[in-house]
Amino acid sequence: MEFFQENIHLSEVFVQLLAFLIVFLTLKKFAWKPLLAIIKSRRERFESEWSGIEKTKQDVAALQKDYLAHLQKIDEEARAKMQEAIREGRRLGREIQEKARLESQASFEKAKTSLELEIQKARLAMRLEIAGISIQVAEKILNEKMNDAEQEKKALEILGELEKKL
Amino acid sequence: MSMTEQQGIAAIQAVAQNHGQAAEELPNLIALLEHLFPKSRLVHFLFTWENLAFSAAVLALIIFTALRAARKKSFIPKGLQNVWELVVEVLEGFVTGILGPRGAEHVPYLGTLFVYILLANWLGMIPLMKSPTSAWSTTIALALMTTVYIQWVGIKEHGFFNYVKHLAGNPIGILGLALVPLMLIINLSIEFLAVPLSLSLRLFANISSEDKLLYKFAELNVLYKGLPFFFQLFANVLVIIFSFVQAFVFLLLSTVYISLILPHDHEESHDAARENSLGPIHEPSTKEH
Repeated sequence: MEFFQENIHLSEVFVQLLAFLIVFLTLKKFAWKPLLAIIKSRRERFESEWSGIEKTKQDVAALQKDYLAHLQKIDEEARAKMQEAIREGRRLGREIQEKARLESQASFEKAKTSLELEIQKARLAMRLEIAGISIQVAEKILNEKMNDAEQEKKALEILGELEKKL
Repeated sequence: MSMTEQQGIAAIQAVAQNHGQAAEELPNLIALLEHLFPKSRLVHFLFTWENLAFSAAVLALIIFTALRAARKKSFIPKGLQNVWELVVEVLEGFVTGILGPRGAEHVPYLGTLFVYILLANWLGMIPLMKSPTSAWSTTIALALMTTVYIQWVGIKEHGFFNYVKHLAGNPIGILGLALVPLMLIINLSIEFLAVPLSLSLRLFANISSEDKLLYKFAELNVLYKGLPFFFQLFANVLVIIFSFVQAFVFLLLSTVYISLILPHDHEESHDAARENSLGPIHEPSTKEH
């Protein structure tokens, strides 16, 4: 009993109780509640932001999927158009080639025809010329009495002139 | 032993004996002032209410820092707010881990109790200070307060009739009714005698022993230079750890007593909360009673 009396002072116990009670009630009202409320609101904000982030992630994933599908579609369309263009190009190339070949053949034929005409013209002109010259030669032979050697010489001169003219 | 050493020991013993005890505790500021100014009424008043003075200092420190921390309310906490939020969050997690989600309402009481006991225990580490919890008057006050709080929770949760029924051992049948007086005596003794005594004596004995340990090492330091200093450093580390452990044990037991007085439908939510909690929590054992 002495031990209790030495170590426990009732007045001190009472004041300690009262002091602790006052501090507890003060802290409960002015410290613990605000601090718990701050922590709770922060936790709720984090949770809402996390859920927002998750939703955004899902939206982004969906958008990415859409874009990938869209890109694939564009790619396929581009590939189809490119192949179409290649086919069209080849077709046009063949057409141009064919047209050019036909044109070149036509111009060749035309040139050939005109060349033949020119040759015929030239032949005709040459014939006429030869005939004229022959007449002139004959006239000269007839007009000039020449010996055989002179005739031969004359004939060669005329032929030489003819060759020059041709 | 040199003259200076003898004077040092004599001074310590004189101050301690002035305090009305054997020389087993380091002199604190108030005891020194009493030694220096024996005729001062103010000093004598403080000396008489020494434990209360140091308790008041701890309580003032807690109120000042907690109110300053709670006033800031910034989204990104800094300084005191950060420290207090850390304390509140850890304690909330611990208490709700044992009591379930509804245990959050007991966080203010248990938190105030834990912080006060911890700081009061550590106060003895500061030179010229004293742990108020090294006095039984302080610890019995805290234990009685906790007992009253636990019983108040019991009455609030069960209702007065069910609470009395609980104290009577929930009697069923004639045998149960016959055992009511015995059960009442046993339960009242446990709730109002064993619980406060065990809570208060454990804390008081541990903290006063720590103070004695520190005193003995300080005495050894005066007598022998060198090695005892390292022993004292080691003892200081031990005191820091054990002071925390004692505050934690007080908190844990108080929480367990509250969980035992709560209605049983809390057990489901309690289990769910325990599964969600970070660490393993020991099952509250009825052996505590």
